[in-house]
Amino acid sequence: MEHRTVSPAALSVRRLGLVNWRGLWTLYMKEVRRFLNVFTQTLLAPMVTTLLFLAIFTLALGGGGRQVGGVDFAVFLGPGLIMMAMVQNSFANTSSSLVIAKVQGNIVDILMPPLSATELTLGISAGGVTRGLMVGAAVGLGMWLFVPLQIHAPLFILYHALMASLMLALLGMIGGIWSEKFDHIAAVTNFVITPFSFLSGTFYSIERLPPIWQTVAHFNPFFYMIDGFRYGFIGHADGSLGTGLVVMALFNLFLWAVAHRMLASGYRLKP
Amino acid sequence: MSIRQPSSPRALLSFRRWQAPAFRRFNRLGFWTHYYKRGVLRFFRFGLELLVGPLVSSLLFVLVFAVAQSERAAMVPGIDLIQFIAPGIILYAIAHTAFENAAAMLVFEKMEGMITDVQMAPLSPLELLAGYALSSATCGLAVGLLVGGAASVFVDFSSFDASLVIGFAVATALLFGFLGTVVGLWAERWDHYSAVEGFVVVPLGLLSGTFFSVERLPEAFREWIFYNPVFYAIDGFRAGLIGHAESSHTVGFAVLGILILGLALLGWRLFAVGYKIKP
Repeated sequence: MEHRTVSPAALSVRRLGLVNWRGLWTLYMKEVRRFLNVFTQTLLAPMVTTLLFLAIFTLALGGGGRQVGGVDFAVFLGPGLIMMAMVQNSFANTSSSLVIAKVQGNIVDILMPPLSATELTLGISAGGVTRGLMVGAAVGLGMWLFVPLQIHAPLFILYHALMASLMLALLGMIGGIWSEKFDHIAAVTNFVITPFSFLSGTFYSIERLPPIWQTVAHFNPFFYMIDGFRYGFIGHADGSLGTGLVVMALFNLFLWAVAHRMLASGYRLKP
Repeated sequence: MSIRQPSSPRALLSFRRWQAPAFRRFNRLGFWTHYYKRGVLRFFRFGLELLVGPLVSSLLFVLVFAVAQSERAAMVPGIDLIQFIAPGIILYAIAHTAFENAAAMLVFEKMEGMITDVQMAPLSPLELLAGYALSSATCGLAVGLLVGGAASVFVDFSSFDASLVIGFAVATALLFGFLGTVVGLWAERWDHYSAVEGFVVVPLGLLSGTFFSVERLPEAFREWIFYNPVFYAIDGFRAGLIGHAESSHTVGFAVLGILILGLALLGWRLFAVGYKIKP
């Protein structure tokens, strides 16, 4: 080994390019390892719960060869349940990560490193998207054993899976930054995320709703993501597909801007 | 109370007259503090999250079933689908709260190191066990009362039989209170706790005839449901509310009673030996 004397010039600040790739990758891997470390809780448990939901809803509501949207009830229900598991888990990942970090005080570990607000938003939300997609794949594979799911339009499945996970990951970030205690984020989960993921057409075609609620559904992004995702499997949609693509993209842009603004201004993060 | 108080300020200074607090067989003050102040009051302090959360998710289930049900197929002839599933949803809320409260409280105290606060107090293993399990059962019943009250607004519980309803609700709350206590003692981290919740409690609760009649099951699985203790609890509870039963109440009470007794003895033994809580 050759010993070198360090010249004072070499002790200057490490130069970062336009993007701090190493920092971004480290943050992303921290978010991913955080949930993979407890994969029974974060991947297997959602899979079991979702398959149980499939079993009870098919047993309770699918009697007598019932058809919904031109397919068997179980085939109709399957994509909705996959989507529900994905959105609940991508929300849980980013929100719990931020709230735990804030309550325990280790939020400084992500605020101190040379990461810009854009890199923070990207790294944390990508962790949530990864969990959402992994849960979706696990649930989908498990479901495929019991329900003959067909793939009609793979691009719709991919687009809506990605957009829905991103949307809920960003919502989880916003909720996590806003929350000061675990109660706050639990309230958001119980009173906002769960009702929206339950009532936006996961379990039924919105044609069953009274006309006024059908109109309301057309302003609900959760409805478009479930509807578009289901179209990818069964080739039948309740709403307009094109509107769904645009709504998801625009809503995600909006949420991204909000999350970025919160991180940039240090809202409830920096003193 | 049973604690001997020094009678005067002088007595406080006298070593000869001071005696260690002597308890009768049961430390009532300690038990009440443990049961009520630490268990029940703690629960109601988080009222929005712990009381209203289960209420909202229970009502969401009812709502989803109400919208998604098919007009053609009634679950059981003569009984509305919502009428059929509402009792199960109420009982599931009781069971889940009773389990979650005891287990989460113990895991939290163990991980934060606060478990010493109860271990140092002059409480016998039985009093410790009873404090955790009974406070959790009480909270479960409080949630049940709230969900049941809300459900009774729009579901017809015409053939209400108080002894069956109260009997099975209390038995379920006790069963899951004791189960939660035992699991809380066993679990060392949050993911141990949520593994039991996700792979034992939720499947037992959902695959118990909450949402479907036994006749709906495929032949092969029909016998298996009779090995699920929650099935008896839900069936008896439903019989008390809407008068439709698929099993015998005597068998139900016997199964639940034996399980409660077994879990209580196990929990008592675990506290006595300090399983995972004493070095």
